[in-house]
Amino acid sequence: MSVERNRALKKTLIYALLSGGLYYLLYHFEASILELSKQGRWYFIVPLTIAFVFSIVHGNFTGQFWELFGIRAKTTKK
Amino acid sequence: MEINFIDLTLGNVALLFVIGFVGGLVSGFIGSGGAFVLTPAMMNLGVTAIMAVASNMAHKFPKAFVGAMKRHKFGQVDIKLGIVLGISAEAGVLYGAGVQETIREVFGKAGSNLYVSTVFVVVLAIVGGYVLRDAYKMFHSANPDEEKTTKLAKWVQSVNIPGTMMYFKSIDAKISILFTIPIGFATGMLAATIAVGGFIGVPAMMYVLGVPGLIASATELVIAFIMGMGGTIKFAWAGYVDIRLAMIILAGSLFGVQLGAIGTTYVKPYTVKIVMGVIMMLALLSRAIVIPVYLSELGQIQPLAADTMSLLQDWSFGVLLFALAAGATIVFRALIKGMGEHRAKLAAENAEPGTFSTATEPRQLSPVGRMERIMLVSDGSEYAESAVTEAIRLAKRCQANLYAFSVLATPDFESPLGQNLHELDKKAMVDNLLKVRAQAEAEGVSCEILLGHGEDPYTEIIDQAEVSAMDMIVMGRRDKSDLLRSMMGGTTAKVIGHTHSDVLVVPRHGKTEGKGIVLPVDGSRNSEAAAATVVNLAKRCPVQVTLVSVAIDPRLKEDAQSNADGIGRLMTEAGIAVAIEVRTGTPDGEIIACARERGADLIVMGSHGRTGLDRLLVGSVSERVIGQAECPVLIVKL
Repeated sequence: MSVERNRALKKTLIYALLSGGLYYLLYHFEASILELSKQGRWYFIVPLTIAFVFSIVHGNFTGQFWELFGIRAKTTKK
Repeated sequence: MEINFIDLTLGNVALLFVIGFVGGLVSGFIGSGGAFVLTPAMMNLGVTAIMAVASNMAHKFPKAFVGAMKRHKFGQVDIKLGIVLGISAEAGVLYGAGVQETIREVFGKAGSNLYVSTVFVVVLAIVGGYVLRDAYKMFHSANPDEEKTTKLAKWVQSVNIPGTMMYFKSIDAKISILFTIPIGFATGMLAATIAVGGFIGVPAMMYVLGVPGLIASATELVIAFIMGMGGTIKFAWAGYVDIRLAMIILAGSLFGVQLGAIGTTYVKPYTVKIVMGVIMMLALLSRAIVIPVYLSELGQIQPLAADTMSLLQDWSFGVLLFALAAGATIVFRALIKGMGEHRAKLAAENAEPGTFSTATEPRQLSPVGRMERIMLVSDGSEYAESAVTEAIRLAKRCQANLYAFSVLATPDFESPLGQNLHELDKKAMVDNLLKVRAQAEAEGVSCEILLGHGEDPYTEIIDQAEVSAMDMIVMGRRDKSDLLRSMMGGTTAKVIGHTHSDVLVVPRHGKTEGKGIVLPVDGSRNSEAAAATVVNLAKRCPVQVTLVSVAIDPRLKEDAQSNADGIGRLMTEAGIAVAIEVRTGTPDGEIIACARERGADLIVMGSHGRTGLDRLLVGSVSERVIGQAECPVLIVKL
């Protein structure tokens, strides 16, 4: 059980770091990103890609986060 | 229009994060409804209306994506229905935006606002009222879990228009897309008008198509994803998306959406309807409060004082916030209550731990070769039949107690679609265990039976063998032609890798009749343990024992010979006559060949018990022997 918990903790930390890293990058390159997305037209790819990447990384982190606290979907294990 | 980005302060970020979280919680639970507070909230921070809508959209679709993925895991999403509705919803969004544009041009801003508010009030009064009434009826019905299909849905499902029919698994019926297109279109139109398409999409799926509530709210997330992405592309094309705002909201809303999705697995179907109905009614109230403002602006009623107008607008926004908070509170309460009840139920069921009865008499010190408690693992398949027969025979011969164990691999999550299947599996397993017990008792062997539940059968087997102090586990194995299974390492291989008990693996049609035992040795301590077991067996039942030692290279034949001689001498001293064979070749091939040539019907081997990467890289001779042997193989653990 503790092995499982360790693994979950490790996974959560990795995703937390990745997610934090992405937010730092967004903050750091704020001006250039806004400048690009402001141009519109084919630059729509910029916000769209950012949204997808964040949803995958941060989505995994948030899922793991609740899991770590034992908040998980109901199982039928009896 | 000029595009200006606001400066972000810590306070702004925190506010957006929190609203994002609450909105996400509600969206994860009812499929939509979290977004409508965000646009006015962003506008309060100084974001222009169009950029607030655009940034809201840009956070909505990744949120819906994560929510849909999560709920798909719970078996709640009808992807096909979501895509079909989503595409027509996209058309509805474009048309709805056009209509609003026209109204704005003809009647001005106040006229447009009046139109939006009136649509809001009328639609939410009808649909929200119906949803709440349905939730109330379900709550007070004899069986609150049961969702009745409406007459309308029954009629829709019965209509057959050739060339337009499409099968949807969530309702297990074919429906004409002539019904789904208007539903999707209306969802999209409403989304373009009031920012929450789900208020019409989810009820329409439930009452017009007959989709169960939980599945409808989960499928709505797919529709929201498609609509949101379409909308984001449209706004981003014009450069209106402030991705910073969207990602800050997303940071909070993904925490919420995960939690909301988890919440759905704990609640009864009517809870989703209550949350939806309550939010819809409060949102209606919020819009109704500001209608006098727009009427006054259009000159339809006595002009209101500026203070009154601003007060009404503040109230309206306050009620909207309250609507979201009320929804989130119900979700939280339901989640906490549901988890508490579930844990209590598990604890109550575990009060009588699911283990076999323990040994009553003190047991001998040396565990080597002991044979008092035999655990038979059966999955009820044809592959386990020989294992059942062998285990009963072995228990009878050794006067051991037999414990029959099956593991029901439970689905990871409570799926509304998978539940019936699970119950059927369970019944089949129990029936099989009862059959095994009857078979054992007919042979005069006492047999306890136990059904375990778990996501990984092998861990349940190992735990049970450990807790109940089993001397031996008897299992069947799948046919060797099942290549994928052998590559992935089946349950049997995993049990051998991890358990401390001896394991007897019986292939299909394999049986032990005392014709002969082959004992492969390699000079390790594992071989000695196997030899001790063979001595024990041979004393109980005289049998011809062949020691086989395999050199992988002719140059190593001398070592192989001395290994075999060493063990042979020990066994002879213990009073067991052995024949020694030294062979050259691949160990597994030679061991199998030796057993075949000697007509042996049991191979006894020691196991290194390699696990994980080690096993993957080095492989295991015993595993390969088990995979190919035609007779049972006994794996002795140190």
